[in-house]
Amino acid sequence: MTGYILKRLVSAIPVLLGISVIVFLIMAMIPGDPATAILGSYATPENVEKLNRDLGLDQGLVPRYFIWLGNMLQGDFGRSFALNRPVLDEVLDRFGATLILAGTSFVLCSVLGIAAGVISAARQYGFADKAITFVVLLGISIPSFFLGMMMILIFAVQLRWFPVSGMWPIYGDRNLWVLMDHLAMPAFALAVVATGVIARLARSAMLEVLRQDFIRTARAKGVHERRVIWRHALRAAMVSIIPILGIQAGFVLSGAVYIEMVFQWPGVGRMLVDAILKRDILLVQGGVVFIAACYVLFNIMVDVAQALLDPRIKT
Amino acid sequence: MMAFLKLLARNRLALAGLIVIGMVVVLALITPLLPLADPDVTDTPNRFKPPFSEGAILGTDHLGRDLLSRLMWGTRLSLAMGLAAAIIAATIGSAIGIIAGYYGGRTDNIIMRGVDMLMAFPYILLALAIVAALGPGLMNALIAVAAVNVPFFARNIRGITVGIAHKEFVDAARLAGMRDREIIVAEVLPNVLPVIVIAMSTTVGWMILETAGLSFLGLGSQPPQADLGSMLGEARSALITNPHTSIVPGAMILIIVMAINLLGDGVRDALDPRLKSGALSRPMPATTVDRQGAVPAAKTESLLDIAGLRTEFRVRDRLYKAVSGVDLHVEKGECLGIIGESGSGKSVTALSVMGLVASPPGVITGGAVHFDGKEIIGAPYEVLRSLRGRRVAYIFQDPLATLHPLYKVGDQLIEAIQSHDSVSSADARSRAIGLLKSVRIPNAESRIESYPYEMSGGMRQRVGIAMALANNPDVIIADEPTTALDVTVQAQILSVLSDLRRERGLAIIFITHDFGVVGQLCDRVAVMYAGQIVEEGPTAAVLRNPQHPYTSRLIDCVPTLGGGQRKLSAIPGLPPVVDNLPVGCAFAERCDKAHADCRAGPVELVKTEEARKTRCLFPEVVSERSA
Amino acid sequence: MTFLTLTRRAVLAATAATALALSAGGAMAQTPENVLIVGQIAEPQALDPAAVTAVNDFRILMNIYDGLVRYKDGTLEPEPALATDWTISEDGTVYTFTLREGVTFHDGSAFDAEAVKFNFDRMLDEAHPYHDTGPFPLAFFFSSVESVDVIDPQTVSFTLSGPYAPFLSNLAYPTGLIVSPAAVMEHGADFGRNPSGTGAFTFGEWRSNEAVVVQANPDYWDGAPELETVVFRPITDANTRTAEMLAGGIDLMVEVPPVALSEFQGDAYTVHEQAGPHVWFLILNAKEGPFADVRVRQAANYAINKEAIVNDVLEGTAEVAAGPTPPAFAWAYNPDLEPYPYDPDRARALLAEAGAEGAELTFYVTEGGSGMLDPVAMGTAIQADLEAVGLDVTIETYEWNTFLGNVNPGLEGKADMAEMAWMTNDPDTLPFLALRTEAWPDKGGFNSGYYSNPEVDALLDAARVETDQAERARLYKEMQVIVQQDAPWVFVANWKQNAVTSDRVGGFTLQPSFFLLLDDVTKN
Repeated sequence: MTGYILKRLVSAIPVLLGISVIVFLIMAMIPGDPATAILGSYATPENVEKLNRDLGLDQGLVPRYFIWLGNMLQGDFGRSFALNRPVLDEVLDRFGATLILAGTSFVLCSVLGIAAGVISAARQYGFADKAITFVVLLGISIPSFFLGMMMILIFAVQLRWFPVSGMWPIYGDRNLWVLMDHLAMPAFALAVVATGVIARLARSAMLEVLRQDFIRTARAKGVHERRVIWRHALRAAMVSIIPILGIQAGFVLSGAVYIEMVFQWPGVGRMLVDAILKRDILLVQGGVVFIAACYVLFNIMVDVAQALLDPRIKT
Repeated sequence: MMAFLKLLARNRLALAGLIVIGMVVVLALITPLLPLADPDVTDTPNRFKPPFSEGAILGTDHLGRDLLSRLMWGTRLSLAMGLAAAIIAATIGSAIGIIAGYYGGRTDNIIMRGVDMLMAFPYILLALAIVAALGPGLMNALIAVAAVNVPFFARNIRGITVGIAHKEFVDAARLAGMRDREIIVAEVLPNVLPVIVIAMSTTVGWMILETAGLSFLGLGSQPPQADLGSMLGEARSALITNPHTSIVPGAMILIIVMAINLLGDGVRDALDPRLKSGALSRPMPATTVDRQGAVPAAKTESLLDIAGLRTEFRVRDRLYKAVSGVDLHVEKGECLGIIGESGSGKSVTALSVMGLVASPPGVITGGAVHFDGKEIIGAPYEVLRSLRGRRVAYIFQDPLATLHPLYKVGDQLIEAIQSHDSVSSADARSRAIGLLKSVRIPNAESRIESYPYEMSGGMRQRVGIAMALANNPDVIIADEPTTALDVTVQAQILSVLSDLRRERGLAIIFITHDFGVVGQLCDRVAVMYAGQIVEEGPTAAVLRNPQHPYTSRLIDCVPTLGGGQRKLSAIPGLPPVVDNLPVGCAFAERCDKAHADCRAGPVELVKTEEARKTRCLFPEVVSERSA
Repeated sequence: MTFLTLTRRAVLAATAATALALSAGGAMAQTPENVLIVGQIAEPQALDPAAVTAVNDFRILMNIYDGLVRYKDGTLEPEPALATDWTISEDGTVYTFTLREGVTFHDGSAFDAEAVKFNFDRMLDEAHPYHDTGPFPLAFFFSSVESVDVIDPQTVSFTLSGPYAPFLSNLAYPTGLIVSPAAVMEHGADFGRNPSGTGAFTFGEWRSNEAVVVQANPDYWDGAPELETVVFRPITDANTRTAEMLAGGIDLMVEVPPVALSEFQGDAYTVHEQAGPHVWFLILNAKEGPFADVRVRQAANYAINKEAIVNDVLEGTAEVAAGPTPPAFAWAYNPDLEPYPYDPDRARALLAEAGAEGAELTFYVTEGGSGMLDPVAMGTAIQADLEAVGLDVTIETYEWNTFLGNVNPGLEGKADMAEMAWMTNDPDTLPFLALRTEAWPDKGGFNSGYYSNPEVDALLDAARVETDQAERARLYKEMQVIVQQDAPWVFVANWKQNAVTSDRVGGFTLQPSFFLLLDDVTKN
């Protein structure tokens, strides 16, 4: 298993290098430069040129890429122009928040999605199935930012059940409870679409598995139906659900951009949108490489989980 | 095509989706013809008029423009964009996927690495960066949304192409000297196309959401042009004060995407061949019972008595009568063979006993099963469950499919024990080892840690038998347990069963299509044809002197010592389809002795000798046989 | 209420099923007394006054730092701050400041002439050891400074390369705020995150993307502030900011979206308004295309219904602009100037005269940006008005930085008109940078529409070196009349900055400078 993990880690390196090239080229292609962004109305060509020189952006593309890559390999992601602080500090600061939001959403959508899919399949064509199918369909059809806005309007402004935005109260203790208070709406809004997708796939995977002969065997043994569904069938269905979870994790991470904007969540997605708009080249590059690395790592974890789950996969 | 539409129409939800999306599309198409206000004419003094105002049914937006008109024009644009993005993404993505999947090797590796890279890039940021690089505008947003979806198509289609690229017809085309490009276009593409169409139809909704998302970020259509996303984006600042300006486009997005998803699901289901047969329904914990008429009493005092059992399969509007009135019984310690061709109803009869017939589509519509004097058809689930495996155990045909692939065989045995007996795991484990030993599995202590895929077919079937024995049942129903095995292994398994039966006083119902096997093991045999028993009697007597022509044909199929294969193809013709049974003798079509009388009406199962019954107007006589 | 609480718990519990143990519940905390929570529009870039350019950052900086001079309350005229007095040499090139005694920075180091010299040398002298703590994008505000000399610890003099009338006004601008040299030496490039000044509030902490917290400075030379703590929360989304204000999460909100103003009617809130030195206009491409003809430019000014824009689109948060100089520069503004009336017929007549009916125009619109108000809605309304008089206008929207990248190098060959807005601190700045012939883009200015009138050039050059305010005012007033007549721009709106405070906040006023001064604010 260790060998397998190592092999997967090594094979991730070219992917990450490729991503670093892509993000570097994209940032180089985008018109406008950080100097214009910083100078705002005062961006005369003269001022822009001087500032670009100060920022070290007057060199050619190739040397700039290799300087960036070299520094990054030594752990130096450079300094953000717009925020005037080390990229890595900012990314790490923000990433914790995103991790809490996306992680909670991911757990939420996995648990809810799988549970809904399993119940739906076990009660196929029954009331629960129809109700779940409808809710799930609603969930995957609603734009998450619209849902988030509506939730703020109803639950925060009208009913005042939850705080409008942010991750921590500005004043007072920081404990799990207040975090959950702030987390509830964004995590839910973010989880809705993925929950729907997972529920649908879990349902069809379960239906597929429930038709298998080994389910009949389990029933013939006198195994209780609950156990047949939640152990025998779900375990087998997980083999096809887990890769979906891997893909959905990517979607949740991406969808966090909208949710972080709507709920003012201090996460990395919002930071990157701002950074792209401000042409904060190093922050975008560093942030994207960091996120991509996490995504790749997560997918390796998914594959490992898959291998642990299914002994037939050769590791 | 008509069949497809019919299938689609049968799915009421999909039909609803089709109707809604159809209406939306029609409205979008005729928008230019409708007497709507100009969507772009501003009238700022009349801004934010609420819905149902005079002259503006849905109200006006932040610049006093008519919301209904903007909604219609916006829907038109959003639909077109979603569709265009889906088509572009599907075309490019599929092309990449087919090339990667078809050529394989290094090409595949490089392409899929690239796809991995794009997928690791958060897609919204990628879209954002693309739009930032290309500049704003509808076309560029469309390109961005299509671009970020290319990898998903590429990955899906590649997977399917890999499967097809190794099929015989592709190899054949290659041998025939076709060039790769021709093969891709002529052989691969037609097979992948349905998948592409399905994927696309389910993606259109997603595309609309994503373009709406980009428009929401201000990267979509250019003002004053309306699309649903930009309407939502522009209305956002007035969300709290004038929510209707947000809700109108938001609800429209919801309706469209929901309808498309419903329709997409319907299309997928209608194109899915498994669903046509109704096979995609999951079987319930116990077979549905829908008995018409009185519940017959037990005909014997036997351990297990089946009386007048009727089991049907209801698939859509067709009715397959798999078992039509079967009477059977098995005594304690007795071995009863049930023999017949595939589809004769023998397995269904056996599975009906413990309510294990897949349901839907299976339904028990009549008869009774008495076990140990109690009627168990339609018994509460908990009663059935406590009997299953404890008093009546099953051994199934293909042990690779019937054992759970992801659990160790030991755990599956332990589970069987603990389902009925609350013993500690350690005890259950030692019992499991004992069970494995009792079916002559060598190294039982280490084998218990094996997964089914790590064992040979014979070993797996021994595990299957051990599992059936786990709770010392009274009856074992073995449903063709040796069919998938080769001859030597089959002999071993039969000898294991035979020994166990002697040692434990088990009753066995042994289902097979092979008279040779019946002869080795069974005391009595029942021959089934088209859901009915056509002959029943002591094995030796039946073998010696078959009375039903079908039985005699079956016996003829058993090779003599050292003979060739056992095949039922020796009987000309095919068994009747059980959804269209003839009025008279079901075997008449294949019987060379058939008379007009045979086809005139139902033939009864009549007692011919002591302990023998036959369902034939013209039973065979001994002399014919001995000849 | 019990019902609501219960339900809320139920919802929470359901959502939290994945989390660990549920600790004791916390009610929605009301913001405490004497702690003011300000809803900002964005995360600050840095808290180093020399390094930042955004009004949003200035709002915090003005409370942590002081400059040598500051704007008199409610005006844009300089008055003493860290400098108690100053003299200007006869030729207008040497400014000598007497510094306030006994002032220390928050870090304890002394404020003196050396500190002042350090500040300006850091920004202007590339050889200065701390010049690398930059970049200092607005250093050109002081590009006329040749040297800063310490006369004695309480006296410092600035020598300019030539007379430069806006110098004092620029010193009052945030770029002229004085930072602690000791803190710069200690923190180097990270000074922007560890600020130290002489202002009414000392820096507390900066929690990235959550809040900047400042505490009262009890030793403030101008009297300790009433508030104990001010928390600046960045809430980029205007809608969310409004929701927070309505839900009681913030006490003071700046830049209220016009459409949200109606939510704050009533006793629970106070809406503040203050006209400032802001002008929102359309740059017209006078070099080529239809707008090369002055009649077409005037037609555009007549065709656009500015009243509707300021009253309806902007909900009265702006006033119709008459010319290039906003009325907030009271002394330099020409009150006789009447805005172009909304007169579509006149516009059509002018277009017909110029033969420009049905002309196709490209219109650059931005999605947002400093001082741009509601640019998409405004652009859309303008487009509709111009369509109504027979001009065929195509909008192209750009996100702010791309927009600037397209507009600042000049509109030639790309567009006929573009939105723009400026907020300045001196009547000289905008016309000098954006209307002179010498300010065409290829010469490093912002005259992106290539307007050129030698008379205007002469007036602006003269006003810049004129040290007598009355004479300067006359020159500017004359300039405004000519520019309005030439119509290089469509003059659209002067923004009235707004803010909302809850009923717990007292003593708050907005400044024409658009800065946020909190030392006299109370909260209970």
